[in-house]
Formats: sequence, structure tokens, C-alpha cells
Amino acid sequence: MSTERSKRKPFPWVQAAVAAVVVGASIVLGAQIFERQLHPESAGVAPAPRVPGAEFPTDTFAGKDVEQPINYSHKLHAGDLGINCLYCHTYARRSKVAGIPPTAKCMGCHTVVGTDKPEIEKLTQMWQSNQSPAWNKVNDVPDFVHFSHERHLQKFLFDNPEMDIKNAPDVCAMCHGDMNQVGVAKKMKPLTMGFCVRCHESNQGPSDCTRCHK
Amino acid sequence: MSSLLGNIFKGWSDYTKGNEEGGHHDYEHMYAMVIDLDMCTGCNACSTACYAENNLATVGEEYFGARQAMHWMRIERYFDEPNVGEAEADTQSRGASFLPMMCQHCNAAPCEPVCPVAATYHTPDGLNAQIYNRCIGSRYCANNCPFRVRYFNFYDHQETAWPAPMEQQLNPDISVRSKGVMEKCTFCIQRTRAARNTAKNEGRAIRDGEIQTACQQTCPTSAILFGDLLDETSAVHQAWKRHQVQLGKYAQNKTNPELRGYRIFEELNVDTKVLYLERVREV
Amino acid sequence: MSKTKINRRNFLKVLGLGGAGAALAGCDMPSTVTLEEGEEKIYSYLAPEEYVIPGVGVWYASTCLQCPAACGTHGRVREGRVLKLEGNPDSAVNAGKLCQMGQAALQAHFNPDRITAPLINGQPASWDDALALINEKASGGNVAWMTGTVSGHQRVLLDAHLAATGKGHHYAVETVNARAWTDAGKTVLGDAMPTLHLDKAKAVLSLGADLLGTWISPVTFMGQYGKFRAAPRGVLIMVEPAMSLTGANADQWVAAKPGTEAAVALGVGHLLMTKHGLSLNGMPNATSAFQSMTPAQVHEIAGVSEAALNKIADTLVSHSPSLVIANASHAAARIAMVLNIMLGNVGKTLTPGASIAADPLAPMMGSSKDLAEFAQNAAAGKIDAVFISGANPAFVAPQGLDMAAALKAVGFKVAIATCHDETTKACDVVLPLSSALEDWGTHVPAYGGKPGVVHLQQPLMEPLHADTRGLGDILLTLGKSAGVDGLDAFEDYYGYLRTAVSAMIGSELEGDWHRVLQAGQFETRAASRAFSAGHDVALGFSETAVSGLHLVTVARQGLYDGRHANSSWLQEAPDQISKAVWDSWAEIHPKTAASLNLKDGDYVRLTTASGAITTRVFIYKGVHPNAVCVPMGRGHTDYGRWANNGVNPLTIVDAHLGDWQSSEIIATASLVKIDAAGENRHLVRLMDTDQQYGRKLVATIPAQQFGRTQGGA
Repeated sequence: MSTERSKRKPFPWVQAAVAAVVVGASIVLGAQIFERQLHPESAGVAPAPRVPGAEFPTDTFAGKDVEQPINYSHKLHAGDLGINCLYCHTYARRSKVAGIPPTAKCMGCHTVVGTDKPEIEKLTQMWQSNQSPAWNKVNDVPDFVHFSHERHLQKFLFDNPEMDIKNAPDVCAMCHGDMNQVGVAKKMKPLTMGFCVRCHESNQGPSDCTRCHK
Repeated sequence: MSSLLGNIFKGWSDYTKGNEEGGHHDYEHMYAMVIDLDMCTGCNACSTACYAENNLATVGEEYFGARQAMHWMRIERYFDEPNVGEAEADTQSRGASFLPMMCQHCNAAPCEPVCPVAATYHTPDGLNAQIYNRCIGSRYCANNCPFRVRYFNFYDHQETAWPAPMEQQLNPDISVRSKGVMEKCTFCIQRTRAARNTAKNEGRAIRDGEIQTACQQTCPTSAILFGDLLDETSAVHQAWKRHQVQLGKYAQNKTNPELRGYRIFEELNVDTKVLYLERVREV
Repeated sequence: MSKTKINRRNFLKVLGLGGAGAALAGCDMPSTVTLEEGEEKIYSYLAPEEYVIPGVGVWYASTCLQCPAACGTHGRVREGRVLKLEGNPDSAVNAGKLCQMGQAALQAHFNPDRITAPLINGQPASWDDALALINEKASGGNVAWMTGTVSGHQRVLLDAHLAATGKGHHYAVETVNARAWTDAGKTVLGDAMPTLHLDKAKAVLSLGADLLGTWISPVTFMGQYGKFRAAPRGVLIMVEPAMSLTGANADQWVAAKPGTEAAVALGVGHLLMTKHGLSLNGMPNATSAFQSMTPAQVHEIAGVSEAALNKIADTLVSHSPSLVIANASHAAARIAMVLNIMLGNVGKTLTPGASIAADPLAPMMGSSKDLAEFAQNAAAGKIDAVFISGANPAFVAPQGLDMAAALKAVGFKVAIATCHDETTKACDVVLPLSSALEDWGTHVPAYGGKPGVVHLQQPLMEPLHADTRGLGDILLTLGKSAGVDGLDAFEDYYGYLRTAVSAMIGSELEGDWHRVLQAGQFETRAASRAFSAGHDVALGFSETAVSGLHLVTVARQGLYDGRHANSSWLQEAPDQISKAVWDSWAEIHPKTAASLNLKDGDYVRLTTASGAITTRVFIYKGVHPNAVCVPMGRGHTDYGRWANNGVNPLTIVDAHLGDWQSSEIIATASLVKIDAAGENRHLVRLMDTDQQYGRKLVATIPAQQFGRTQGGA
């Protein structure tokens, strides 16, 4: 048996290790060089920054269509009607979560506005039977991640002298894309760690692991 | 590319500096603790508070016996008193010695350099942190820890530790660790995070005493003190100074050697950040 | 074999290098964990209060009901769930601190074995049916109540129900109680609950009172103990047969034979008189009792050496003011009171207590005497129906009381409980009770609170189980159907409580009510008491326990009397002394072990006149050679998934042995026979060593050195 084994060509461990080192190193160094900055928005003349004093992340993500209990259109409310994001997602400035607006807020308008539309009728029915709509979560970070809407809004909106609160949609768009251009909510940014880290590097966010990993 | 090389050079210069000037660290804060062993009654309140705050799983008798319990804060109990001579032959005449033992957040932590994936490292707050989702479960860190305060999840305990509706009690500010992950005391980093958030909103620095760890907050005799060692006005800094214990030394040179402060396994030069005050007995 | 073989080291090297690259690249790979679009549900609020913000915790004040001390708590509530309890810093009882039992109140609330619907003869039923049955069977005759310690408006309603139903009696059962001390206080000084000033005392002598563990209000005492240990440091002396948590923290731990603490106390008094020239004016009875107990006799009776006795007496004199407390027996407690008079501690470290003027709200403190009385009266057929809440007589009663037969003799039994236990099993109707974190209530701390302050218990979250009801609500319903005057005006207990509290604080204003809710307590008229001149009571002790091996049952902070055995945190919290988890054990002295040829982990059979239990031994020097100490709390048979372990030593306590001049069941007076049961299994403990092996883990210094540096302060 031992003679048989000695005849077999040994696996080239040394060469494999060297190859692995080369591949690994090139990935590491490549990532260091190319992946640390935000991707340039477009070749040529850079447009005026959407959020003054901040680099705007440009990655995009083609999220799937998520069906919701009520066919709510961000385009209609935030786009056409120009309602500020923070009017409904009012928790965003005070808490780590932006929150879904309480039904009471919807009913503030919809007891008089558009009451004949089938989707509003659905909402009214839920409201009258004390039921919350079971929304399907579109933008989500894993459970081991601490992400605070409050801190990001403070930095880019409220503590930013060049920003006005009416431009809140531009700040939200950094991570959520232009929500006022789509109907039912869709995931439009990758929200991966690479996405977060690139933006943190460009905008001098904290880089310590425990600031985001809980 | 420049940032990579910059990081390497900065890391190297920090390393050499730390070697040359004992205890040099570039930290923003350095959270540390003081535990008065003469006040500690060994009652376990801190330990149970830790279970409640940090989503610690109970493992049951069998796994506990296999040394797989998850008590980040444990109370050790000894019946001998090596420093005051032999105990009486027939009776335990001076009671027992209790030692609250949790991660000592060593400045020169032996667990950190051995992690193959850098899941454990030192934060700018001076804490020894563990990033659970990065951990691959090699357990090198636990083997290298002289205090045995790192706990490995050999099994998933979710089903048995938090049967419904108990999962509703889980603290959403901390991950629930799953099988194959090392975990340890964080000095209640979620409380630091919350305090930092409040302080930032109010445009000020974190005040001394604003962050209380769960064990400190519940300790019925107030034996535990927690704070920033770099803040010279903090109670913790004052206590370290009063007891003439300095960081970066493996033997203290006290002008008054009778002062009670000491660090456990100081001679290992791991530079722990928990100062214990000696227990006192009438002898 | 090839030269470059794959071994663990090489494998990890390659893995590590590849891993570093993959790890960085992986940050951008939408893995399964980051791709959760549309997979989780998110529910919005309908119409939330202004201050309810998802993701932000809000703290509400309430009261802890894990033991009779009634500490003030703060509960952290986020997204409608209570996540963590802390002490209420404004409460004078616990000053922001909690013990481990208080921390574990969360597990009592979220317990997976809660009762969720009413039961009639073990079958689920509706509230209407259950209440109708109760009206039918428990409206006349002798309707009794059995509870733990109760106070506040629950007690008012309970008393009203008892008065309306007729001849019934209220049995308050607490196995762990301070009845010896309170009776002695009443007899000698005319005040059942004097205020202790541990922090002002320079020496404390405790005769079996585990003040840091389970005695009266442990968190209050631990807070004072912290100050007691600061410079100038006090000296703590403990006399007891088996080491308690207090004993483990004592400067001098003195092992006495079980049940002989009273003799030790008399001996100390003897030395104070003869050696230090102290005297008792106008108390000839006490004086002669002290004079007749010589140190030599103490040595013979209690096994405490004359040197140790001298050291105690000397310390008490040199460290004035001191404080002597006792809970070992009624005899010891009386002598302790008289020793305080002799040492001049009265007025310094022992001052008259104060509580609230509204007497109906005052705590009804439980005792084991009530347990025995209930068993006797029930067996004699004197009780027609009983309501049981907050007590588990079927578990804590010694076999000698034959509680099973006694309960059987009661025609109709109603249990009001959060979880099934041995008692609910024996009851005809079981009403599902809200947990302490879901209920309203008022509680008057038995000790340690600011005089006149009542603690308010408010719900920290919506009921987990829709069909449970609060104790106050149940009492209100029962009171209404029993025809108690003035209850019909109230729809629920909240309405009743709010009206009652408003009357007590003299304000109906919404704002003032909210201030009460926010503070978790409110002040009403206080009533301070005064000491009478020391009564010259008879001092003596029962000589039942001076030879032979005795069973000593003790309660430890944690599982307590067994009511917390259904908490996995407390089951897994190592016992303070033995460090054992999840099982029972018997503590014996190395001498006892040697004489029986036992080693750690050996199973033994402990036999008393009342029965036998089998458990493992833990051998150490913290028990008297004449004692076998078995902590209580384990040995449940029907108390949820976590409680089915260990043995219950309470069952084999001899119930007929009354304490001296009282009928309390005493925990130290049962003679026990110990036999090896043949098997050995490792007792699972936090640590298997008791030694530091010369390492500087817990360093100890002499008190003189502490004095020289003033603790380094």
C-alpha cells in the first residue's frame, strides 16, 4: 500500500498555497484600491451635489416588486403631491428606526380625501376594525447591525448648515434611492456592508466595527 | 492604496510606541472598572442582571457541567485565604471569598492577535470587542484567555433558553448569538452606544456616571464602579490614582504598598482594566 | 508520505489567506442575510401616544413582588414589551438596586408555563362558568383565604371579602419569615419592626438572621452593608449552624449546633455582665437568665468555644454602638433584643420603626404558623372553601402536616395563580392570574421604606395572555358578588385603585395621578412608633437540639422557598455557597463525611421521623459537624419545565416540633439519619475547586491595614 501511495504524484501544496496567496492578495489589494471610494457618478462634468458637503452614494440595486396589503404609491404622495418624507416617517429623526406611519396619520387626510378609491376603502376598513396593515419589509439590514436613522439625519440634514428640511428626500435618497419616483416601495440601494463602508469612508463616518455591529 | 499603506504604518508606529512607552494608547475613551471585594457579598445579582441585559442563554445542567455555560459575569467563590495565612482546620471561620469575574478588557489582550479573522479587536473606546457575525468559531481566543471569560456557543440554545413567549424579552440592541460563535462581556456596549447618541444630540461629551453597566446598576452594595479612565475627573480614574495602580505595568511601584487596589494576573502583562480592591477581614 | 502534507496548521494558513480576500469581497455580496426583501412583516401603530416611539425605550415605575420586601422597580419598555428591570432610585427601600430574584421577575412574567385560561377540575372553562361555580360553592360558610404576604388595597379588598362571606380566616403563609424577630420586638420593646441602622453600627452580631440573603428586606440591608464596610469598617459576626450568604461575608463565622443560637446569645450576655460589667436595670428575669449561662455551659450546649464567645463579647464592647439581630428562634431573638438594651444600642442602631397611618393597608406578614393552623383546621373540617393565591402549601408543608389530606378535606378550593404548581393541581377551580408586571396594586414595604410611603405597582405591558386577570380585579369581582358595600361604583380595579389613591394623596387631579405613576410611589400620613421600656420577659431556650445530627433547611437568595424554581436564570445561577446549579445537594462537614466515609458527589439518604430524601453531598467546613444543611427550593413535581429537579427538604422537616414559646415550624430541629445510597455522580458546579492555589485572585488583608489606609480613600 505504501508503495502505491509513493508512486502517486503528491498534490502541489506549496504551489497551491502560493497561488492562493497571490489570488488573495490581489483581491485584498484590488479591493483596497478600487472599492474604497464611491463609484463616480458619471464621466464628464459633475452635477451640483444633491446633499451639500457629502458624497452621494451612487450604487444601485434592482429590487424585486414586493406586494403590499395596500397599494400605496410613494410617487403620488412624495413625488406628485410633494409630501415630505419626514411628515409620515416621523420617527426617523428621533429613533434608530424610521417606522411606518401610524394609521391615524393616514386617516388624518383619508377621512376626507379619496374615500371612494378601493385602496382607501381597504384602509378605512382596517382602521375601523382596529387592524394594522401587515406591511412587507422592503429595506432591511440584518439583525446584527445597528443602524440609526436619527444619527444619519442629524449629520446630513439637521446639522448640515446648507441643507433645508424640505430637501429631506435628497438625504433619504442616499440609502433608499429616489423613492418619490416609484409606486409601491422598492429596494433601490444594495444596503450591503460594502455599500455602508464606502459611504462611511467618503463621508468620514465612524469605521469602528462596534459602531454598527451589535 | 495610500490609505492601506497609511494604516499599516500607523499600526506599526502605534505598536512600537505601545512597546516603548508602556501603556500608550491612542484611545478616545478607555472604559474601565473598579470592584470593591470587601463590599461584594457574592449575591449573584450582577450575574442575573447580565443574563437579562445581554441575551445570555441558559444551557441546562448537562452543558453547564461540560463548562459550556454562558455567564459573562460569574461569581467565583473560594474558601482559602492565601494572603492571611492558613484557615482554621475545622471551620470556615472567616467566611468565603467572592470574586466577580468578567472580561477584563485587557489593553494587551491575548485573545486579539490570535483571531484568524480579526473578529475580536480593540475599539477606540478601549474595549475588547467581539464581532459575532465575523467570528468563525476557531476558539483560539478562548484558549488564549487567562481569565476564561470567553464563552463559545457549542449549540444553538434559542429553543430551550427562550421558549415562546420568552423571546419577547430579548434585548433588541444586542445580537442573539447562534451556534459556532464566541461571545463575551462587552461592558454593556449597547449602553455606551445609547449614551453617545444622547450626548451627541445634546452636543456635549458623555458625562461620568452616565453609562452604567447592567451589573453596576443592580449591585445592591454598589461594589462596582464603571467609567472612562482617560477622563481625569471620573470616579474610576480617581480610584485608580488613589490606589496607585497604573496601566502598562506588570508590577506596581506603590509609595504605600498597603493600598488595596490590585489587578488579577498583572504579572502576565496583559494590562487588564478591572481594578479589584482587596477583601478585608478581622484577623 | 509526501513532504508537504496537509495538517491543521497548513490548512488554516491557506484558509486564512483565502478568507481575508473573501471576507473583504464578501462585504459587497448580497448574501442571504442581507437580502430579506418582503420576507419580514412590519406592523404600524394605529393611533399611538405621542411619546411612543418605536426603537426608543421608555421607563415605567412599578413594584417588585418576587419576595415580601416590595422594592421599587423601573421597567424598560420598548415596542410594548418589557425588556429589563432596574431598581427605582427614588425608592427608599432599594435605592435603585435589585437582587437576582428581582431581575428574574421578567422570567416569571414571560414564563412559557403560564396558565392562560380558567380551569374547572383541570378542564379549560370560561370565566363566567368559573365565577358562577365560585358563587355557588364559596358564598357562605367558612370561606378562608391563604396568601403570602399581602398589603395595600389588595389586602383591603381581601379583608372586605372575608368580612362579607362570614366566618373565614386569612392565613398568610411564608416559610421564609422574620416572625421570631418581629415577635421578640413586640414582646421586649413594644415594636414589631424596629428600624436597624447597620450603617451606623461598628459591629453587628447576627444569630441566624441572613440579612444579606433572605431576611426581611435583603436589598435594603445590602445597601446599608455597603456603607457598613466603608471606613471606619464595621465588624460582622455570624452565629449559625450552616453558612448563609451573610455568614460567608462575616469577619467571624461561628458554627453553633443547630438550634443553640439562644444559648450562645445568653453566654455572650453572661460575659458582658461578668467580664465587662454591663448590667440590665429593672430586668431581674433577664439578668438571672444571663447569669445562669456560663461560657462552659455554652460550650457544652452549642459547641462554641469559650475563646470564640469571649471574642464576640469583647468585639461588641469595643465596637460601640453595635447591633444584635436574630432570626434563629424566638428565644434567640428575644435575647438579642435584650442584649441590645444591655449594650446601649437602643436609640442608636435600633430605633423605633415607622410606617403608614392607614392600618388596613399595612402588610400582613406571613408565617409558617399559619400553614400549620390551616392544616389543622382544614383536616378538622372547619374550612368549607378556600382561596389560595401567592402560596404553595402543597410544596412547603412538611409531610407531618399531611397537607394533601388537609386540602382534600376542604370542600371547595380555588387557586389564583400565574403558573401551575403542586397546589393548583389539588384545586377545583384555577383562575389565571396576571403576572406582577401586568397588574395594578399598592404595596406597603414591610421594612426600609420612607415612613408613610406606599409603592405603586403598575402594568409594564399589556397582558401576554388575553384571558388572565389581575388579583385586584378578581378580588373586586368576588367582593361585588359577596355583596361588599361600595364596590359597585367601580368597573375595574384600576378605577377602584385610582379613586382610593386620589383620596389618600388628597387630589383628584389627573396631573397628580400621573406624578404618582411616574414616581412609582406616593406619600401618605406616616405613623411613627415608640419603644416601650424593655419588658423583663422570660429568656430561655428549648434544649431539643444539642446532640445528634440535625437537618437544617435554609433558603438562599435565588430559588428562595421554591417559588422561583421555574426561572431558568435562577436555576442556572450558581448557589452562592456551593456553586451548584440545577440540582439539590446536602452540605456536610468533613468530619461527618469522614465518619461515614463519604466523598463529594456521593448520594446519601437523609431520613427523619417524617420521611426521607436522597441527594448528593457537598463537603466543606461551613457547616457544624452536627448539621446536615439542605437548601430549599428544589424538588418540585408540577412547576413547569425548569423546576423538575432536586429534592424538597421541607417535606421531611418534623412539623410537630414547635419553636420555643411559639408554634412556628423550625427548620433546624429534625434529627436526621444519613446513609450512603451507594452511587456517586459529579455535582455540577460553577467551579470544582475551592482553592486559589496561591494565586492572587481574591486577596485578603487584615482590618488593621485597612484602617491605616482608610480603605485607600
